[in-house]
Amino acid sequence: MKLNYLFPNKYKKVGWLILIPSVITLILEFEPNSLDFNVPAIFIDELFGDKHFFGIVKNNILNEILGALILLSSLLVAFSKEESEDEYISKIRLESLVWAVYFNYAVLLISFLFIFDIAFLWVMIFNMFTVLLFFMIRFNWQISKLKKSARYEE
Amino acid sequence: MKNSIKVERAKKNITQADLAKLAKVSRQTINAMELGKYVPSTVLSLRLSQIFEVEISQIFTLEESDWS
Repeated sequence: MKLNYLFPNKYKKVGWLILIPSVITLILEFEPNSLDFNVPAIFIDELFGDKHFFGIVKNNILNEILGALILLSSLLVAFSKEESEDEYISKIRLESLVWAVYFNYAVLLISFLFIFDIAFLWVMIFNMFTVLLFFMIRFNWQISKLKKSARYEE
Repeated sequence: MKNSIKVERAKKNITQADLAKLAKVSRQTINAMELGKYVPSTVLSLRLSQIFEVEISQIFTLEESDWS
């Protein structure tokens, strides 16, 4: 009955400690040559070339490392239990998640219609992370509102 | 749904924080229930009933709007 797919509370801090430096490094956008590697790929679509499955490509792996770190750490931040995770918090969590999915797709829909070409590539890149981002913002906002409203006891 | 958690709490002379500890939920949850913002699960309702030592129907009462 207690199954809720959440991580223990202490992982929230771990998540933040990985997430923040990873995002900062990604924004700085540097690609040290020492991280250029030949790596295996599942699907390859070469510029002016053919498309084929499975092969080796030359790639700077910093993006991959940071992307993976951001993805995993934001999951930890979003889905670690609150200090006092109870049924009411779980309800707020679920509502925030539904809200975040709606909001994310609303943003995506608008972007579909009004952003084109290479600019849309940016939309797709950001969209990989925005569901969790919108969820985190909404959920934490709701929780802080709740704490504020419960501070004064009659 | 209406509830008399606040009344029962006053009878026992315990704070929201005390009740939260006894019922093993956060104080925010107790507060939200008292304000009618949150309808608790059956498990939590039964816990409250045991803590207050009253029948569950004495704490919670249905309203007309619960049928619509």
